[in-house]
Amino acid sequence: MYKYVIRRVFYTIPVIFGISIVVFVIMNVIPGDITSIILGTEGTPELREQLRENLGLNLPLYQQYWNWISGVVVGDFGESLRTGAPILPEILSRFGLTLELTLLASLIAWVIGIPFGIIAAIYRNTKTDIGLRIVSLFGVSVPNFALATIIILVLSLGFNYFPPVGYTSLFEDPLMNLERLFIPALILGVSMAGSIMRMTRSSSLEVLEQDYVRTARAKGIKEKVVIFRHAFRNALIPVLTMIGMQIGFLLGGTVIVEQIFSLPGLGQYILTGIMQRDLPVVQGSILFVAVIFVTINLLVDILYAYLNPRISYD
Amino acid sequence: MKKRWLTLIAMLFMLSIFVVACSNGDDENGNGNENETDNNNGETEETEGSSDDVEQILKVAADQDPSGLDPHTSTASSSHRIMGKIYEGLITLDENMEFAPRLAADWDIVDETTYVFQLRDDVVFHNGREMTADDVKYSFERILDPETGAIGSSNLSLIEEINVLGDYEVEIKLSQPFAPFLSYLASGANYAIVPKEVVEEHGDLNQNPVGTGPFVFSEMVPDTHVILTKNEDYYLDGQPYLDELHYLTMVDESSRIAAIRTGEVDLTTVTPDSVSLLEGNDELNIISYDDLEYYYLGFNATHEALSDKRVRQAISLAVDREEIIDLVMAGEAKLSGPIPESLGNWSIDVSNHELYQPDIDRAQELLEEAGFGSGFEMQMGVPSTEAALVSAAQLIQQHLELIGIDAEIVQLEWGEYIDAWNSNTYDSLVGKNGPGRDPDRSLNFFFSTTGSANVWEYSNPEFDEIVAEGLVEVDEEKRHEIYTRAQELIIEESPNLFLLMPKSYIVVRGNVDGYNPLPHDSENFRETTIK
Repeated sequence: MYKYVIRRVFYTIPVIFGISIVVFVIMNVIPGDITSIILGTEGTPELREQLRENLGLNLPLYQQYWNWISGVVVGDFGESLRTGAPILPEILSRFGLTLELTLLASLIAWVIGIPFGIIAAIYRNTKTDIGLRIVSLFGVSVPNFALATIIILVLSLGFNYFPPVGYTSLFEDPLMNLERLFIPALILGVSMAGSIMRMTRSSSLEVLEQDYVRTARAKGIKEKVVIFRHAFRNALIPVLTMIGMQIGFLLGGTVIVEQIFSLPGLGQYILTGIMQRDLPVVQGSILFVAVIFVTINLLVDILYAYLNPRISYD
Repeated sequence: MKKRWLTLIAMLFMLSIFVVACSNGDDENGNGNENETDNNNGETEETEGSSDDVEQILKVAADQDPSGLDPHTSTASSSHRIMGKIYEGLITLDENMEFAPRLAADWDIVDETTYVFQLRDDVVFHNGREMTADDVKYSFERILDPETGAIGSSNLSLIEEINVLGDYEVEIKLSQPFAPFLSYLASGANYAIVPKEVVEEHGDLNQNPVGTGPFVFSEMVPDTHVILTKNEDYYLDGQPYLDELHYLTMVDESSRIAAIRTGEVDLTTVTPDSVSLLEGNDELNIISYDDLEYYYLGFNATHEALSDKRVRQAISLAVDREEIIDLVMAGEAKLSGPIPESLGNWSIDVSNHELYQPDIDRAQELLEEAGFGSGFEMQMGVPSTEAALVSAAQLIQQHLELIGIDAEIVQLEWGEYIDAWNSNTYDSLVGKNGPGRDPDRSLNFFFSTTGSANVWEYSNPEFDEIVAEGLVEVDEEKRHEIYTRAQELIIEESPNLFLLMPKSYIVVRGNVDGYNPLPHDSENFRETTIK
């Protein structure tokens, strides 16, 4: 077990380095650099040159990469080229928000998706099942930005309500924090719930057909016990894979909802960084997200084995 | 089996501890900042006697976060709207675009190259230190120092000497006459007076802005807000009336609109498209003003066909500017030459100009004369982030089709667009220019052979001569005559097609009083109050 974990952790190192190099190369290859963007149509060539020097962009690329990565290894992510603000504290505080939003959204998605998925499987091909499947199709297909815009319009026009502006931390003012995050989380959660429900339904159906379930029933065990003790745990494995991927995706992918609700999350930070060619911001944040993504996948792999002892670690 | 579930719960618990850890960092920041604002609140409460019971806090929705608040190096408009409250220059422009005193109470033009400024003796920086002539000298020297990378350095490059004549008197000598000098000094934060000790302590002013302006920097939370508080020691009696000014970053226009509707913010800019959504709402006032900028179609002067003046004139005759104004700007824009009307009386009336009257037959004739009667192909780059420019480009494309020119629109993301603009790699670009505060900046800068924004590689010796004359002519009337000639010539030559001067729209809630945007000063909150 420990060997397995350690080996997996080692595997992630080349992945993370690879990502850092790819991001560095892409950011340097795409047209437009930060000096153009800072100076806009005001810049003279001399000014542009001076700015490149001040920002350390006149160094050869390999040296720029080395300066950056050698700082990162000891926890120094550098400063934003654009604002001069240190990057790591910014990433951490924004990650706090994005993580909270992600977990809240996931919670909503599970609470809606898993029970309804099981219900749909139990009552398969009845009106309940068909109704649930149609609703879930809606959740899967309506993009969250459309949902968000509609909800904002309805709330502001119909109820004269707009979620409070700015972010309040959970520990400063929990109520305010929840009021701020609830609608965005609901929107993300509803989108996720659709696919979780569908996945839960189909994998539950598959499991319910299995021989051992029939055996359990034949032994005269109550239907409740059959479903929750015998079928449910096995049905959950593919759902868990999907949840892991969804969480990973959300951590970097809540940007549109963050924009619409003016939440200072990590996605917003990366997007602004890319638009402004703020190299260390983009590199640092993507590296951070990559580490988190890899870690979550690792956790999910380990969770598998807890839920299904047949998966071995070797 | 129970054990496994327990472990799972334990893992979830650990994850939540991680959340706590992450959010805690945030919490500390939040608390630190809060203390700061608390202090400021304490200060304001003491002097609140004059204002009524209504909280004097103006909340402004900002479409972008400021990027650094060092006045000498920051160029983004999102930074400027905040820096304009914190910093001040020696002089400013009044509502008629005439020079008006600011930190300098008075000034003398001793001769063509010598300026003497008498400073106010009651100005203190936000850190409590008095501002003197030494700070003026330091600030201009900082702008001129190439290592600063200051955006105004080339405009002040003719400064030869800065002499401190007394605590409140400073003399600036230029190496040669330079007519736009005062215009630049009056053009905002890029020429602000800053305290030396703060720059030296922090290296720059990006994160620690300290100036002399009516509002004091209080806190900045990235992608969330910037809070400014009243400068209690401001030298103009009673100003500002507001106690606090909040800039709330809201990137999405539909949320800005929802927020102004519900009163979450008091003021926001909106695009012309959104104006109709807010019309008819009794609680809101929609204010529009002429923008200090114009839309253009610029030509690569090294292009085979476009280097021919007749081809450019043909394009000018084919493009129906009124149609662009009607369809893209909903009729709410004006025709413009290289100097838009918003720059005051420097601008000439172009509405009757021959090249502004669409005439397809004449255009076709000119093309044939130039040897391109059967048309040609050209690319037309446009920044994809500017919806109005993209629509304008699409109309121009249709207009050009009528004279056989096949224009291919290439939408470029902002960074790419600036690169294309700098390197003249496209046959033509649709964009917008700000003409600055002085006609030299509007003409010389963009079209003289050595102009630093002449990215088109356009060259015309006659034009160069005229604008060189204007640069050294200090007499206002003669300068007018010179720049009228320059404008006529540049429209005739059409190195760029000048299309229109757009309008900006600001929506304010009914309880905001004493706010009146001007083209060159769209956010003057000095006398604004909340009713």
